[in-house]
Formats: sequence, C-alpha cells, structure tokens
Amino acid sequence: MTDSPLIPKEEIPEARHPFAEAWEMFRRNHAAMVALVVLILIILAAIVGPYLYPVDPFDMVWAPFSPPGADGFLLGTDYLGRDLLAALIHGARVSIVIGLAAAVVSVVIGVTVGALAGFYRGWVEELLMRITEFFQVLPTLLFSMVIVALFGASLPMITFAIGVVSWTAVARITRSEFLRIRELEYVTASRASGAKNGKLMFRVILPNALPPIIVQAALMVGSAILFEAGLSFLGLTDPNVVSWGQVIGSNRQYILDASFTVTIPGLAIFVTVLCISLVGDGLNDALNPKLRQR
Amino acid sequence: MSNETLVSVENLGVRFAVKRGGGWGKASYLYAVDDVSFEIKRGETLAIVGESGSGKTTTALAVARLVEAYQGKVNLDGTDFLSLDDEASRLARAKMQFIFQDPYSSLNPRLRAEQIVREPLDSLSTMDEAEKKEIVDRLFAEVGLRPEQQRLFPHQFSGGQRQRIGIARALATQPDLIICDEAVSALDVAVQAQILNLLRKLQADLNLTYLFISHDLGVVQHMCDSIAVMYMGRVVEHGTRMDLFNNPLHPYTSALLSAVPSVDKARREATKRILIPGDPPDPVNLPAGCRFANRCPVAQDICRSQDPALRDVKGGHKVACHLVGEDAVSPL
Repeated sequence: MTDSPLIPKEEIPEARHPFAEAWEMFRRNHAAMVALVVLILIILAAIVGPYLYPVDPFDMVWAPFSPPGADGFLLGTDYLGRDLLAALIHGARVSIVIGLAAAVVSVVIGVTVGALAGFYRGWVEELLMRITEFFQVLPTLLFSMVIVALFGASLPMITFAIGVVSWTAVARITRSEFLRIRELEYVTASRASGAKNGKLMFRVILPNALPPIIVQAALMVGSAILFEAGLSFLGLTDPNVVSWGQVIGSNRQYILDASFTVTIPGLAIFVTVLCISLVGDGLNDALNPKLRQR
Repeated sequence: MSNETLVSVENLGVRFAVKRGGGWGKASYLYAVDDVSFEIKRGETLAIVGESGSGKTTTALAVARLVEAYQGKVNLDGTDFLSLDDEASRLARAKMQFIFQDPYSSLNPRLRAEQIVREPLDSLSTMDEAEKKEIVDRLFAEVGLRPEQQRLFPHQFSGGQRQRIGIARALATQPDLIICDEAVSALDVAVQAQILNLLRKLQADLNLTYLFISHDLGVVQHMCDSIAVMYMGRVVEHGTRMDLFNNPLHPYTSALLSAVPSVDKARREATKRILIPGDPPDPVNLPAGCRFANRCPVAQDICRSQDPALRDVKGGHKVACHLVGEDAVSPL
C-alpha cells in the first residue's frame, strides 16, 4: 500500500459505530440509567424469582389479608390467603412477556406498513394510510376487549389484541422517516449502485430510520403492560396465569379493608412502566440528539 | 484519444406534474429537461453548465435513470439504457456510475467506509469476499485514502475525504461513464483542486468518460473537452471548450462567461460584464418564443414569437439562437 501524502499517519481515529456514541449519551442521563438498573432487576426477578422463591401463587398458604411482613410473608396474603410476593414474581413474567411480545407484534406490523407506504408512495401509500387511520380511530380498549372476548383469553390472543390496536403510531413514524430518508442522496447512491428495492427499504433506509422506532417500541412495552393490566383487571385474561392486573382486579372489593393487596401490584405496574418510560426518554435523547434542545 | 462515441443522448425529456391552486384541476407539466441531445466520446469529458433550475442535475439523473424520463434515448455502448427492463437496467448500472454533490449526505452514515465502497460490488457482481476485499483495497489506494481508514464511519472523515470515498464507490464496478453532479461544489477551493486533479488522473489511468455537471466555469475550463450550456431545460449552446470559451455565440453563454471572476487585472478590464436583467420565466407557462428572450439584451421580434432550434453553425458548434448566422458571429 502506498502512503498517502495527504493524510498524516497519526490522525487515524478509532472506528466508532454511531450506536456507541448513543450509549455514551445514554450513560450520562442519570434518571435513565437508574431506571435501566431497576428494570434489569425486575426482569431478573421475573426470570430467576420462581426458582429462588418457589411458592405457587395459586396456593392458599395462610390466612387471608395477612399484612406485609407479618407471619413470614414479605408482602402479605390476598383475600384467598395466597402469597402476594409469589403473585408479583409470577405476574412479572406475564406482564413483561406480554409487554415485549405486543411491542414486537406492533413493530412488525407498523414497520411493514410504514415502510411500504413511505417507500412506494402513490396508491400504496393512500391505501395503507387509510387502513392505518381506520385502526387509529377505533376505541382501542374496546376493540381489544372484543377480540379477546370473541377468540378467547389466552396469552397469545391478548398479545395479538394489544399489538393490533397499537401499531398505528409505529406505522406513522416509520412512514415519515421513510419519506424523509428516501430523498437523501445516499439512498439515490445505493440505487445508482444497483441496489434492489428490498435492499433499499430494509438494508439502507430502515437502519437509518430505526432511532425513533426504537424509542417508540420502548414506550410501547410500557403501554402494553398497562393495557394488559387493564384487560386482566376487567377479567379478560387467562385464569390459569397470574398477572399484576389480575391481582388488582380480584382484590378490588377489599381495597378499603386491605389496601395493600391492591396497592402492591399497582406499585409494581407503576414502577415498571415508569422505568420503561424513563429508559425510552433516555433512548430518545441519546438517539435523536438534535431534538434535545427543546 | 479515440473517436468512438460512448454515450449519445437523444431528445431526452423529463417532466413533473404540477398542480396549481390545489383541488382537482388538470395537472400541468413542468418540463425540467426538454429535448436534450448530446454525445460524449470515450475518454472525454462533457460539461453541462447552467444556472440553478436550468435542468442540468435533472439531466444527469435522467441519464442514469434515477429520475424517469418521459421521452428520449440514452445509448450507452450501443444499447438504449432507458428502454431496458428493470432488472437489465439495474445490471447495466455497472457501466454507469454517479458521483454526488454533497459528500455529507451521499454516504450512508451507518456503514463503514469499506462497506460503502463495496456496495456496488455487493449489488452487481458475483465475486467472492476475497476478490471484493482486494478491489476495495486497491480503490482506497487509488483515491488516496489509507487502508486503516476502511473501518471508519463517514462522520469521521473530512469533506474531501468523503468525496474520495464517493469516487472510490463510483469506480468499484469499473464503469465506462461516470456522472459527476457538482462533484466539487460543496468543497472548499483547496480541496476542490485536489479532487479535480484526482478525477483527471483517474480519467487518464482508466480511460474514463465523464459527464460533468457544474455551475462553476473555472472548474469546467479545467476539466472538460466539450461543453453544453443549459437554460430552462434546453441546451442553448453546445461545442468544444475552445469554441465556447473563445467564441461564445449565444447571448446567455456570453453573459455566463463574462461573469467568471478573474484575478488578472488586464483580463478583467478587457472583458465587458454583460448583465442580464430580470428572472427566468415561469417554467410551467413558458413563453412562446425563445426562453431567454425576456432577459436577452439583443432580442428581436422573432425571438419573442418563434422558438429557436439547436442547429450546427460551424463544425459541430451548435447554438439555439435566431440571431446567429452562418458566419458564426455572436449577435452581441
């Protein structure tokens, strides 16, 4: 290799991926970092908790309404004398899995619709955006209740119901990013280099459209958890699995006598969703640095 | 240099539908490129010059089939590139590559320099990884970048270095024709000179043919063998560099040339600045006659009523002006 006279040798910087810089930004956001740590602890508890604390959440283990800390039950027992800590740990699995899976479902639908609409324009865009608007004006909770009521309250169906009512935001964000990025010269350059449409859409434009989609997806995990809690509070859930919303729903009549049976799972939902939102905000600041000075 | 014609563009036209005033009204068309024809010989450089909005970039994009032309032919090595089906034209892109104006937006920020240069090979060739790697290594050396820089991302390069990456990408598939769309106008002057010299060196080494789009006549004078001057989507004058710089015939060309700044005091005083007043006409409702008539200092009645055709006045020197006679003397 010949040495170029134009570039001094010592000035070769270290190759840094754009995402490495985003992580640097994220680390400086203290609230988001704390939220991330709490979130990781919650996820760890959901994964290993059932092995460290092997109590069946459906077993009636003690007298009902035993307050937290009394009789060796850290968080007390509910109206049937079931261990609330076990319910929280098992419920975390359901809440987190549904939250993640529903976010995946809505990202897959939303990105596909938004990418096709933003890339092809014309009648494809018209058609897909009208469909998106149709889903946007549906009353979301009611619609997902109808789906669950019609097709049965299994976890996959609940996930699907939540995903189907929440993909529209992803579709609109993806479309707007595609509309912006498809006009940039590097997309034209890729086309001039012989890239096919599929490659342009998913290998060139999509990676550059990802930051706002990632942020939206993170926030959607939180709203999906809330959604699931809402559905199971109303009883539209699989009766064979514990979830936080279900615990609140089944204890709601005793809120005045034993408020801890409702507030403890409520707090679990609150803390988890708050942490997800903080992480989402942190991601937003880190991935879209231009939007920070608002 | 050989006399073989590599590219011939015939009656190329690009139009955009524009709706005025909204509603359901009938669309009218903006003819961004109107009946443009030119030829480039192998190993030579044709420059297209003109002011903003004259259609020069759209011409370049239409030649490369990056915007759709509604009429015309682009014969590259004997086949009409525009009439090929999608897949055939995609594969034919190997013979025709593009260098873009803005080195900041023409490189994908998520890819490493080496991936950017390799992209045309990934899309268009059937080589294995080792062969691609070898070509990328050679290209980096050819455009004056260091091998260690292959791992870096675009934001870690300066403007000139980025344009070198863009040039390396354009060379990857060993094209015959390279279209340079204002390839140096986003760079500062010192870097411009480096990039222009690199382009000339590559042209000599690889027998490249350039279609060079520019509004900078100094750059054009340095780079090209022949020039086409565009105004409002039309070629108004087309000839060799000597023809145009020494004997500009169209009043618009004369005005453009007289606007080139010069540091040479004698030359500055010798050239009379030709000022053209007013603005170009509305591109959607074009006037009946010559499109330059409303700004032309010597316009006659015929100029306002009849549209002049581009005709050969002297050994390949073509001009679209009623007032240039067989003697090929500027009407000014």
